[in-house]
Formats: sequence, C-alpha cells, structure tokens
Amino acid sequence: MAFSSTPRARGLSAAAVVAVAALAMTGCSAGGTSGGTTGGAITIGTTDKITTLDPAGSYDNGSFAVQNQVFPFLMNTPYGSPDVQPDIATKAEFTAPTEYTVTLKKGLKFANGHDLTSSDVKFSFDRQLKIADSNGPSSLLYNLDSTEAKDPTTVVFHLKAADDQIFPQILTSPAGPIVDEESFSATAITPDNDIVKAKAFAGQYVLTSYDFNNLLSYKANKDYQGLLGAAKTDVVNVKYYSDSSNLKLDVQEGNIDVAFRSLSATDIDNLRGNKKVKVVDGPGGEIRYIVFNFDAQPYGAKTPEADPAKALAVRVAVADVVDRAEIAKQVYKGTYTPLYSYVPDGLTGATESLKGLYGDGSGKPDVAKAKASLAAAGVTTPITLNLQYNTDHYGPGSSDEYALIKDQLDKSGLFTVNLQSTEYVQYVKDRTADVYPVYQLGWFPDYSDADNYLTPFFLTENFIKNHYSDPAVNDLILKQAVTVDPTARTALIKEIQDKVAAQLPTVPLLQGAQVAVTGTNVTGTQTTLDASFKFRYAALAKG
Amino acid sequence: MTATSITTGSRKRSLWNHLPVVHQLRQSVGLQRGMLVTGLVITGIFVLTAILAPLVSPFGYSQLRDANGAFGAQKPPGGAHLLGTTVGGYDVLSRVIWGAQTALIVIIIAVILSIFAGVMLGLVSGYFGGWLDRVFVVVFDAVYAFPSLLLAIVMSIVISGGRSNLVGGVLAAAISITTVFIPQYFRVIRAETVRIKAEAYVESARVLGASNARIMFRHVLRNATRTLPLIFTLNASEAILTLAGLGFLGFGIEPSAAAEWGYDLNKAVSDVSSGIWWTALFPGVAIVLAVLGMTLVGESLNDLADPRLRGRRSVAKASGLVSETSVVPGGTLKDEFEVPL
Amino acid sequence: MTTVTARPPAQMATRRKRTSSGGGIGRYILIRFTLIFPTIFILVSMVFWLMRATGDPITAALGGRLGPEQLAERIHAAGYDRPILVQYFEYLGNVFTGNFGTTISTNKPVTEVLLTYGVATAELVFYSLIVAFIVGIPLGLVAAYWRDKAPDAFLRIFAILCYATPVFFSALLFKLVFSVWLKVLPVAGRASTGSELQMQFLPGKTGIYTIDALQTGNPQVLLDVVSHAVLPALALGLLTAGVFLRLVRTNVIGTLGADYVDSGRSRGVSEYRLVTKHAYRPALIPIITVIGLQIALLLSGAVLTETVFEWKGLGFELAQFLTARDFVAVQGIVALLAVIVALSNFVVDIIAALIDPRVRY
Repeated sequence: MAFSSTPRARGLSAAAVVAVAALAMTGCSAGGTSGGTTGGAITIGTTDKITTLDPAGSYDNGSFAVQNQVFPFLMNTPYGSPDVQPDIATKAEFTAPTEYTVTLKKGLKFANGHDLTSSDVKFSFDRQLKIADSNGPSSLLYNLDSTEAKDPTTVVFHLKAADDQIFPQILTSPAGPIVDEESFSATAITPDNDIVKAKAFAGQYVLTSYDFNNLLSYKANKDYQGLLGAAKTDVVNVKYYSDSSNLKLDVQEGNIDVAFRSLSATDIDNLRGNKKVKVVDGPGGEIRYIVFNFDAQPYGAKTPEADPAKALAVRVAVADVVDRAEIAKQVYKGTYTPLYSYVPDGLTGATESLKGLYGDGSGKPDVAKAKASLAAAGVTTPITLNLQYNTDHYGPGSSDEYALIKDQLDKSGLFTVNLQSTEYVQYVKDRTADVYPVYQLGWFPDYSDADNYLTPFFLTENFIKNHYSDPAVNDLILKQAVTVDPTARTALIKEIQDKVAAQLPTVPLLQGAQVAVTGTNVTGTQTTLDASFKFRYAALAKG
Repeated sequence: MTATSITTGSRKRSLWNHLPVVHQLRQSVGLQRGMLVTGLVITGIFVLTAILAPLVSPFGYSQLRDANGAFGAQKPPGGAHLLGTTVGGYDVLSRVIWGAQTALIVIIIAVILSIFAGVMLGLVSGYFGGWLDRVFVVVFDAVYAFPSLLLAIVMSIVISGGRSNLVGGVLAAAISITTVFIPQYFRVIRAETVRIKAEAYVESARVLGASNARIMFRHVLRNATRTLPLIFTLNASEAILTLAGLGFLGFGIEPSAAAEWGYDLNKAVSDVSSGIWWTALFPGVAIVLAVLGMTLVGESLNDLADPRLRGRRSVAKASGLVSETSVVPGGTLKDEFEVPL
Repeated sequence: MTTVTARPPAQMATRRKRTSSGGGIGRYILIRFTLIFPTIFILVSMVFWLMRATGDPITAALGGRLGPEQLAERIHAAGYDRPILVQYFEYLGNVFTGNFGTTISTNKPVTEVLLTYGVATAELVFYSLIVAFIVGIPLGLVAAYWRDKAPDAFLRIFAILCYATPVFFSALLFKLVFSVWLKVLPVAGRASTGSELQMQFLPGKTGIYTIDALQTGNPQVLLDVVSHAVLPALALGLLTAGVFLRLVRTNVIGTLGADYVDSGRSRGVSEYRLVTKHAYRPALIPIITVIGLQIALLLSGAVLTETVFEWKGLGFELAQFLTARDFVAVQGIVALLAVIVALSNFVVDIIAALIDPRVRY
C-alpha cells in the first residue's frame, strides 16, 4: 500500500476538497457548532444504519429515525400516546367516504425559506408513487389513488377504498414525510448531500452537517410549528456505531450522553448496575414469533398424514410448552418481555389472549396440559419438529433464543427438534416457498396501530404466506379497518386476537422494549420512549 | 541448487525414516528440534482433543442444562463450569473442546479437497503446458492475489445457500477455504511438475513408450508431492484462521450445529465491554495454540528443507528436499521469499 | 526445460530465477504490464458471478416487510431478473467506461464510497506498516544475530504468535486490557465525536484524520486521533510484524552465508558489523517486495480489524455491503482492490527486475 497510497491520497484530497466544500459551507452557515460536546449540546450514539435521507428511497428504521427529526408529517403521535393527531395540520378528516381532507397550518416554511404548502404535500406523495423505488415505502400507500392540492392550505387525498381508518396512520409512517418540491427531484431519489445542502427540512430539527453513517449534527428548527413543540436542546450530534459494545463503552465512560438502539442484553444488564448512567425503558413495537406453515408443519395440509385437528394440537402443544419468561430473562435479560397476544402491549386494543388459553393460565408453561391435548388428538409423541431461524436479521440473540426454545421443547419429551439456521436472503426465499414447516419471524411496525399487527399476518392474502385462511377473521380485519367509532373498532380488534389465538397460525413469543441509556444529567428520555416508537431528539435535554 | 536430484539420494533407509515428519525430526538438531517437537506436541494434543471430545468434554457443545437445571448465562469460571458459561448459557470448556473437533474436520476436508483439486490441476497443467497451462496460471494467480477471507466469505454464502446446519456449515467453511487454497497447491505442484518433466528419467520413460497418464502418475506425481506435508501444515493453520474469521464475521456455523471458536469469539465481543473476559479468552487461546502448534511444525519443516537455514555450515551437505520448497507461497508464509541475489 | 513466456504476477517475484536471456527491461515491463488486465478482468468477473449467486439486494433489504409477489415486482422493476449474461455484459461495459454505478442500498456513487472509505483504509494500513517496520525489522536482525540462541528462540516464537493470533482476538484482548480495564486508550472509531466535529468544518478536509487533525491546529485533536489509531494499528501491524521479523531473520541469515560476507568474515569484520552493515541491506530488498505481496493479507486483516475497531474503511464497508447483497458496491470495491493488488504486484515485479536482472525472461 505504501506505493499506491501517496499519489492516490493526493488525488483524493483534491477531490475530497470539492466534495466536502458543500458540507463545510452548510456547517459554517449554521453558525459554528464546532465547540465539541460541551455547552448543552447533546451527543447521541446509535447502531442504526441510514440508507438514504430521501423518504422515497428508504424503508428502514435507521433512515426513518433521521427523517422523523427533520421532516414534518401531516399526522403524528403526540408524546406518550399511540393515537394520531394533526401535526403541521390544523384539521384532518373524512369529507367523503373516499376523500380524506387535511388542512395545513398557515405560514409554514422550510428551513431554507421556501413556503410549505399543499403543493409540497401533493408533490411528496406523488413522487413516492411515481418513483416507487425498490427500497422505498411506496407499498404503504396502497390505498392512495391521487392527491389534490385544493388551495394552498388544503390537501385532499382520494382513496381507493372507503372509510379507511388506517390512512391517518399511514401519514405518520415512512411514506408520510413532507419534502420540499423546490429541492427534491420529482422522478428520482435525491442524493443525501443535496438535501442537506438545500436545507430542505421542516421538522423539529435541521441537519447542519452530514457525515454519512458516522456523525450527524442537528440544530433546532425555529420555524417548526407542529404538534410536538419546539426542541428542548439546540444542538444534537448523533454518532453512528456498528458495534453495540463500543456504543456501550462510550456511554459508560460519558463520551456520549445518550445511547439508543441497540445495546446488547449483556450491556444493558451491566449498565443497570452502573451509577454513572440511567437506563430508561419504554414500550417497544417489535415482536418476535414462531410461524407455522399450515401446509408443511407436522400433519399439515400437504403432508402425507394431513389432519387439521392433529396439526392444531401440535401448535397448541408448542404454545403450552414454550417458557417465554425464561427466554426473556436468560437470553434477553429483560430487554424483551413475554408477549401473550398478537398486538403488543401499549397499543390500543392489545389483549393477552394466549395467556389464559395456553400453559398454566398465568403465562408459565404446562407440559402435562400439552401432553393431554396431544393425546386427545391422537398424536404420537415425540413429534419431529424442523425449526428454522435466522441469524443475521433479527438480532444477535436469535441463536441463543432458538437454542433455548429447542431445549425447552426437547425437555418436555413431546418434541424432537431439529434446529437449523439460514442466512437472511435465502431465508426469505425459502420461507415463502414452503421449505420451512416451523420458523422464526419478527416484525417492527410501520405505524403505531393494532392494524399493523393484524392485516399483514391474518388476512387470507397475507405477508407471511403460511396458508392460514379464516373467512371470519378475514372479514373482521377488513371491518375494523373501516369502523369509524373507536370503541367499536377496539372491540373488533380484541375479538380478532381471541379468534386467532385459538387457531395459532403463529405463536407470539416476545415483545421488544425500547431501552435508552443516558448520562444521569439527561432528562426527557422517558417522554419520547412511548408507543409511537419514534425516538425524538427534541424531547431530550441536558443539565 | 534447484537441480539437485532427489532420486539419486539412494541411501537405504527404513520406511519409518522415510515418513515425512519423522525424517525431519531425525534430521533436526538443537533449537530446531525443540521447536519441531513443541509443535508436534501441541498439534498432537489438538488432534487428540478433537478425536476424544465426546469423552473429555464435561458437557455437549449445545447443552444448556443438566440434571441440576439450566446452566445460566455468563457464569464466571469455577464450580461445575471450570471455564464459566457463555452469553447463550453454554459451558465454555465444552465449547472449546468440541471446537477442536469442528476445526479438525474442517481442516481435513479442506486440505484433502484442495490437495485433490490443486494437485490434479497443477499436474495436468504443468505436464501438458500450452495455452491451457497459461490460462490456468493466469486465473489461479488472480484468485491467489485476492484477499482470501473475502473470497471465503462470498464462497460460503454461495455454497451453503446461507444454511448453517452441521454438514452444510462445515462443508461451506471447508469448501470456501479450499477455493482459497487450490491456487497455492496448483502453483507448487505445477512448478514441480514442470521441473521434474525435464528430468532425465522422465525422458527415458517416454522414450520407452510409457503413456502420458503413466508418466504423470508414476513418475511425476510421486516426486512432485514431496513438498506436500510442508504445505499441508501451513495451510492447516491458515484453515483454522479462515474458519475462525468466517465465524467471527457471522458467516460460520451456528452453536446448535457445532462448536466453533470464531463464532464464540464473535458472541464474546459484547461480553468484553462488560469486563467478562472468560468467554473471549479461552476460545481465542485455543485458536492461537492450535495455529501455533501447526505453524511450529510447518516452519521447522520449512527451515529443514532450506539448506541455508537448516544449521550453520551444513549447507554443503544439503540433500533431500530441494530448496524450491522454501518459496512455498502457502499458509501464513505466503510471503516467505528468497533474496534475489 | 520448457520456455515459459507468460509468468504470472506474484509468482514471478517469488519464483526462483530462470536462466534465460530475454529482452530488455522495457520489453519486460510492457509484457508484465499487459498481464495486469487479465488479472483485473478475472477478479471482476469472478465477483460478478459469485455475487449474483448470493441473492439480490431487494430481498436483503425488504424481505422482512414485503410478500414474495411485491418483492418479485420490485426485482423485476430493477432489472435483476433479466438474463444474467445480459447483465454481465452491461456490467463489463460500464466498468470499461469507468462507470461504477450507484450503490443499491445507500444510493451513493460508488466512486464516492471508494474515495471516502479508501482513505480511511489507507491510513490504517499506513499506521500498521509503521508498526510492522518498527517491530519487525530490528527484532529480525536481533534474531539473526543471536541465531539459534535463546533470543532467537524467543523471537521466533513471538513472530509465530504474531501471525498465529487472529486479528480479532488480539483486538479483543487489547480492548479488554487498554480500554476496559486500564481505560487509557479509546474503545473504537477513528476519533472522538468532539474531534470529529472540529474536523467536520475544515475547508480543506481530506478524510485522512491525521492530516485533518493537523489542520485544526489543535494538539488535543491530534492526540485524540493518534490515540484512536494505536490499537487498530497494533492489531493489524503485529500480524505483519511477525512476517517481517521472520523474513528479515531468514534473509539476513541467508546473506550471512553468502560469499562476500564470508570473505568479510575472513577479513576479520565483526559479526555485529556483518549483520548491521553487510547482510542487512540486501536482506531488506525482499521486504520491499513482500510489502506488495502483503497487501492481499493486509486487506483481509483490515476487514477484521476495521470491524472490531469500527474503523470506517473499505473493509468495514465491504462486510456491510456483502450482507446487504449490494452487488454494485461490492463489485466496485473489489474492482478497486483488484487494481491495487494487480498494480502493486506489477510494481513489485518491476522493482525486483531492476534490482536483479536475472528475474526477467
């Protein structure tokens, strides 16, 4: 390398000068934030990864976390509640069954001085549909037919299906950020650096410098007039880590003020006993569950000894035998909590449907009960179960989690588990090709509504493709989505959970908690660790 | 020096003395002998541990509980768990012991496969020459120039289709290591073949009307494989490092399928930041010892094969292995290199 | 002996010289130069085919959110379901015209990725080579001087330990001792957040942190940057130091046996002087060549070192892009690596040929 580095580096520095000149200029115009981490500025560390800053080009937690700070939404969830309210709008309602009308606040501006009008809103949604990037969230706008800018402050969304109660939620999702039509391309993903250079932001914060996936600097946006209020801290720096143990050491040593997403269970456990930091827990939207393929599972529809009753008995036995509390404690050290239903705790309409139905009735396993129900269905034990899991997508705990599940099932004497793991890309292909009889999946919501935990899974045409189909459940899910009365809708959501719990197309296992670790002088963490699952830097303050 | 003929060294020796390592052991003296013996002892312990793993290991590699209940995660060394337990609740000692077995299996498969493929290709390429030879040489040189770990990573994804059960995982690791090794064997065997082909006895065999296949296998192969034990030991140690590297980067074998040191080290990364040292230290030391043992053997063989290094003032007596072997581009010594004087 | 016309790059350097007249150095350089292209072509093609066999980037990114139909639709829209030969020739065409494309997973020009992360890797490799030189060469001389004595035995074991220890294990140990227990050195990264903020707004930012730190004119920042480089450079450098140590020892011993050294010895030149003056210089020549050959090894090691220490360089990014199945990015990085490896082999061979005319044929 000694040969090549010198001339190469020289050519490089010349190019780099040009490349960062823009960056430097935005930095300077932001008014010299180069004072380091002192003076009230907060430094946050994360292991998130950004893919693109442009909302049309990313559909992942890491990018959405940034977009949430800098782009405004029409609808949003206030601190502490999972229910949506107008954000930069004054009013949002169905003016006709397929017309959802949003009235913007007056005098909205982007940080670069451009006006934020209904035309920008129309632009934002039109380009999502037009670009339909392969990595983008355009699929969330499945019910959006067209967007109309009626007057500068009025936007009308023309929907395909009537009375869609989910649509307001969609406006809070990764498909919902509003962007500047004068700075973004209508037909292509806009490069990150162009966005930062154009200061095309109107959220609570403005990005002042952008060292991709390494260090981002934010400054409070004085022009933000939305639901969430002004930012408590003027300057926020976010440092990107790839290894959670490095993040842990830095927060422990006070090099950063806040560590959010994702510290390992060991790290969090270790930090709980440390007086120099606070560990703050909040409800989490992530769920982990086991899927049964109705065709390929033992006694499944496409197996030689197909028998729906025996197949159900096998699922019931698994639900009876798994010890969620042990997994949560041993593998995740409390960073995940047992999940006894399909909608996680904290969301409107969540039940604990499985708790009473399976195990000993209090959430603990019950091997005798499993044995009895298998015997009643005429299933000969031990049942051979080919259990698949994935190692590289659902967190480093997966292999320990599934090793423990195998251990629990084997120990009951009712099962002989063959445990196998597959790398993610192949895993995704195999699972929908009916290769795996029983397998692991996880889910992180697009928006904070029970619907996002039901529609993708239990409609006849569903995302998990496990051949589960129940007309009654299907109808109920479609019905709750258009039920206007909140109380009636919640009742329907509970009914769906009860019905699905009796059939067990999937066995929910764990719900992830959101855990942030902060220095003792940082406040506001609890406020933003809510069921909106959006971590807002604006709530944090130091000192 | 290169042309020193081996076939002329016709002193009568017993078969025992002809065995590769034994021969060198007898040949060695002093420090050299000490290093060779140390290497052999460590390697011996490694192999024995691997073979006897079911007997000496207190628990299974994927065992989480015994009659007294679950082991529990990250228990410090002591009591029932001499070296503590891992973050997943496995017994560290058992994982270390069983890891030797996985490593040995992978080494054996990888080295056998690459010897087989590399030797065949090198032999054919070197013997027949021509455009095929040139294509092979250019292709394998390109592969050889490629960072081996990256090649292994990509290969392991392609081969296993991302599955990591025991057979799939071990095979994927072994085959991906093989891909990295084939060019090395190819080069050594090809060079030897080209050299031996020009020897008088091969010419005479040809004149006598022996077929190409007969000449290749009877005469050339037999003489060209002398250098293999040396490459073998060096590559075996690199195989361990590559396997561990794959495991550490998360492209290895899962804990329920087999014990693998690199994987355990990967899991230990976050332990280290909490001051939990035993989950990282022991698998790491196991890797170092295994590699150390084999490298000591390999280096000693290498030195003994090189007249300049064998022992002071013994250059004149050089016989046996030709010094060509000291330019073996294999193993960690791929950079081993002679003064171009 | 058959006449060998085309000798492969690395092989040529390591191969024992053949006696053959051959053309002049100019002709040799020309032949040797043309050989760079097949090497790059083979590596680039190999990576193309291998990456296509590992799956597509869309499934990798969105397999957890979209059903198979939606995924297939997006794969089709992106053109990844076209005949692979068509994609292959399209790719070769692009590479030929110097168009490396835009990364799939992060929508960044590949050239920008190569520049940004390439400098970081270059900086790390530079530091490691310094460590390797400082540790490897003097100790190699010491070992050669006390050949077959206790210091030699000790140093040889040390050398073997250096390359028997996987980079990630030594990295973990360093981290445990210096960062967790002693708390004297930073855990990971290339600089602390505060320093990075100061360097962020430099008008002449190079991406080479040492230079940027100097530009800030703040000794604190420089100290911070250097202290961040210590552990990664040690971890990666010791690996190479072991190789250097062994190499210097072997070659010094080799030259000590050479005729002119023998004659020096017979003239009564001290062994110390023989080692430091006579045998040392010629023994260094192979080191120069080895640096070239070490590059492949260093880059492998860099992947692991960068991963453990979050040194955001090419190796670190490569591992990330591999997981994301971002073939465009992986192909770009590998193409760059192929060029570096091929070019450095070329340079090494030319140097070897200039030093020793017998290498040419």
